[in-house]
Amino acid sequence: MNPLDLLRLIFGNLNRRKARVALTAIGVVIGTAAVVILVSLAIGLQRNANEQLYGIGDLRQIQVYPNFGGGEGPLPPGGGKAPAETKLLTNQALDEIRALPGVSKVIPRDPLMASLLMRYKQLEGYSSIIGVGTEDLTELGLEARQGEARLQRGTVVIGPMVANSFYNPRLRPGQEPPPPPDLYGQTIQFIFIKWDSQGKEIRKMALFKVAGVLKETRGESDWSLYMRLEDAKTYNEWAMGRRINYNKDGYGQAVVIVEQVEKALDVSKQITDLGFQAYTPQAYLQGINNFYLILQVIFGGVGAIALLVAAIGIANTMTMAILERTREIGLMKAIGATNRDVLAIFLGEAAGIGFVGGLGGVMIGWLAGQGINVVAIVYLANQTAQQGGMPPSVAVYTPLWLPLFALLFSTLIGLVSGLYPALRAATMVPVLALKYE
Amino acid sequence: MGQTTVRALDGVSLEIPAKSFTVVMGPSGSGKSTLLYLLGGLDRPSAGQIEVNGARLDQMDENQLALFRRKTVGFIFQSFNLIQSMTARENVGFPMQFAGVPARERDRRALQLLARVGLEDRSAHRPNELSGGQQQRVAVARALVNDPSLILADEPTGNLDTSSGNSIMHLLAELHEQGRTVLVVTHDPRMTRFATHKIFLLDGKVVSETEYQQAVLE
Repeated sequence: MNPLDLLRLIFGNLNRRKARVALTAIGVVIGTAAVVILVSLAIGLQRNANEQLYGIGDLRQIQVYPNFGGGEGPLPPGGGKAPAETKLLTNQALDEIRALPGVSKVIPRDPLMASLLMRYKQLEGYSSIIGVGTEDLTELGLEARQGEARLQRGTVVIGPMVANSFYNPRLRPGQEPPPPPDLYGQTIQFIFIKWDSQGKEIRKMALFKVAGVLKETRGESDWSLYMRLEDAKTYNEWAMGRRINYNKDGYGQAVVIVEQVEKALDVSKQITDLGFQAYTPQAYLQGINNFYLILQVIFGGVGAIALLVAAIGIANTMTMAILERTREIGLMKAIGATNRDVLAIFLGEAAGIGFVGGLGGVMIGWLAGQGINVVAIVYLANQTAQQGGMPPSVAVYTPLWLPLFALLFSTLIGLVSGLYPALRAATMVPVLALKYE
Repeated sequence: MGQTTVRALDGVSLEIPAKSFTVVMGPSGSGKSTLLYLLGGLDRPSAGQIEVNGARLDQMDENQLALFRRKTVGFIFQSFNLIQSMTARENVGFPMQFAGVPARERDRRALQLLARVGLEDRSAHRPNELSGGQQQRVAVARALVNDPSLILADEPTGNLDTSSGNSIMHLLAELHEQGRTVLVVTHDPRMTRFATHKIFLLDGKVVSETEYQQAVLE
């Protein structure tokens, strides 16, 4: 039988029993809609979580810390145990890491040990300073919003939120606080503070020009100031009261940049094996994504139960249809239909019910998802506005593959439920079918 | 079901000549319909041989039987067996769907055959809009659609009034005249007028006309 004729015959037959087909298909509609909504919800939650984790950092970066031995310090994510031996991030150690396959760059970092008070005009602010072993901050995945992300002697590049930490210390109660200052191109007075053994405060002043303001990353860089490692070293030596030899003391931290995101976990493990503490957001992301994958499967499973119930409905409808149309089956055989033709017609009708129901379910599921989105986003945006944090951009997300998969799945469910009735129809003895009353 | 064996036909051995108009007469339960269904490949014998046009039906599998029915046999039933949701034209063209004939050709041939049975103006009507006689004429057109050499009719006039029955009988006689083998199972004695061969069945056995007449009179 020609496939087009078969299709026309199948839909003609379904059209003949509209009410029954519709009632049977409603089960499939509910099941498919449930699958689409629930899986979309799980995917939406995952996207939301990933969005919130956006600040977790560049996935090509691995943060490496020295290991002081004895299991001190944070354990590397993904297991592993801290070696008893002390491993410092000396220049030699950095070369060792650089030599690992898949490593693109190793950039040392050193935070400032002293406390910092910033002054700009009548405003004061607090922040943390990070010395970085590169002049080009774009190597760390940072980009400038204003000016440039390059460091020179005597300049700093600041995170976009640093300006928000400035306040007026002479503000009287009831007075309107000043807006955050535009610090780009301005010179800020830095006051480094340390305490001697008697607890006496010692201050040191310096002037730095803001060479650039970074774009928002929702991470550490938003609230930090970056300066050249050499500058940071100078103030650290002052703070510690002794000279620093990186070959002996090591750096506070190193950022390892891998060639490809896929290599991050592998390189991270190799660095851990060398005896350092390595941390990559990739490990967390993987764990989180695995969790959401399981959530999708569970949610999809709940919807699938509804589809299973619908499948029984289809099987019932088809069994009834075959009883009612026994003579028709006999006639088809008498006029030359093969068992395969009859099987194809009835399987097609069952699959057709699944398809029609699936189509309705996908549409309802998608529409309901959009509805939930509107309500949820408004509600969550209100919540986050009250409690702070980032509003979600999406609550329910339906990727294109989901409706296609749901449609295919519902059709398949129809096909499978029709298997037994269709086989019965196909193998009927023609003469008995013709005489069936 | 299947607990007592009923022999619908028992030890029947007969030959039906090609291009004959054979009428099989017998009361209800005589096994005449079983004979027709066996010849048409709709039923299988539990024992014995059936040969049609040199083909052994008892040795064929389901698929071969379907192809045999499609190419060689045209069935006409007492209750017409038209599909109610299809128009007369679609009903006539339906067997050609299984033969893979394109839609346009199906329509052309269905209209041609409807014209031949005098129903060209009823082609778009559904069975419930046609009289019994008209429905049976649609069924005759459907039986002819794959140009079979054997026409098997099971009580074709059984559900029809006298004049409709007559017209169907004439239609069958015409088919015979055109060179087809026609086998009609009936207990309508009028049919014997057209017959070139007559077979009388009583309780699953072939009997002579005299034996049959006696038995019927008793």
